[in-house]
Amino acid sequence: MKKPESFAVGDTFEYVREVDPYRPVYYAAASGDFNPIHIDAKVGRAAGYQGVILQGMCTYSWLSDACVAYLGDPARLRRLRARFTRPVQVGDVIRFQGRCAAVEGSRVRLEVSATNQQGEEILKGAVAEGDVGEG
Amino acid sequence: MPIDRKHLGKRYGPFRFAVGLEQVKDFVATTGGGVPGRVFSSPPDRFHPWTFDEEAARASPHRGLVAPPSFAAAFAIQPFATACSDPELGVNVLRLVHGEQEFEFLEPVRPGDLLETTGAISRLQERGNLDFLEVTTETRNQHGRLVVRGVWTAIVRN
Repeated sequence: MKKPESFAVGDTFEYVREVDPYRPVYYAAASGDFNPIHIDAKVGRAAGYQGVILQGMCTYSWLSDACVAYLGDPARLRRLRARFTRPVQVGDVIRFQGRCAAVEGSRVRLEVSATNQQGEEILKGAVAEGDVGEG
Repeated sequence: MPIDRKHLGKRYGPFRFAVGLEQVKDFVATTGGGVPGRVFSSPPDRFHPWTFDEEAARASPHRGLVAPPSFAAAFAIQPFATACSDPELGVNVLRLVHGEQEFEFLEPVRPGDLLETTGAISRLQERGNLDFLEVTTETRNQHGRLVVRGVWTAIVRN
C-alpha cells in the first residue's frame, strides 16, 4: 500500500467513466434507487431531460472511487462532498481530475473536478479528506 | 409551493440494513463498469481489490472484504428518500434533483454488518424559485459504533 510519506501537494490523478445505456438500470439494481427518472425515458422526458438520467449517487461513487484509487485503501477516505450541477445522461463520458491540495500530518485534502465530454462541469466543489496514517 | 417550515427536525427511521457479500460485490461490479447479478453478469474493470476480490481482501490489513465508501448510498439513503416522498412535505418528485452530498466515513462497512440508519430534516430553505431540503443521517453498526454520517440535499424547482 502507498506509504504516508509518498503523498504530496500537487499530486494529480484521473479517472474516466462512460455511461452506457444500461448503467442507470444496473445502478438501480445495485443501490435500490429505482426512481423511474433513471429507468423510463418517458419519465425522464416528462421531467425535462432528453431521456433517463444517471443517478447522482452513481457519479458520486465514481468520484469516491477516483479518490480511493489515489489514497490506496478504501478505509482511508474519511470525508467526501460534492454539488451536482448538471444531469449525467446516457452516452456521457465523465472525466474526474483530482489534485492533492494539502497534506497535514496523516491528513490529506483532495480537490476534484468532473466534466463531461463537452467540458461542462457536472460536479462543483468536490473535495475529499483522507487519513493515510498507518495502523 | 415551498415546503412548510414546520417539518424542520422531522425524523425518519430507524431503517435496518443487513449488508450482504453479493450485495457489496454487485455494487462494485456496477460502479466499476461491470454487470451486477448472477445472469449475464461481468466483473468490474476498475475497482479496489479489497472491495471485490475476497482472496486479496483476506490478505489485506482488513483481513476480509470491505465495502467501498460510496456503498453508503445503498444503506443510508432511506431517511432522505422517505423525506422526498413524504406526502406531508408534498414534494413533486419530478421537479426534484439531488443537489449536494456529503459523507463522513468513520469506520469501514463489511459484509455481515447489521446497520441502522436514522435521519432528520436539518434544513429547509427557499432561494428564489428553488426549495432546499436537507436531511442529515447517522448510521451505526451492530456494535453501536457510528460508521457514516451523511448530509443529503435535494433541490425542488417550484
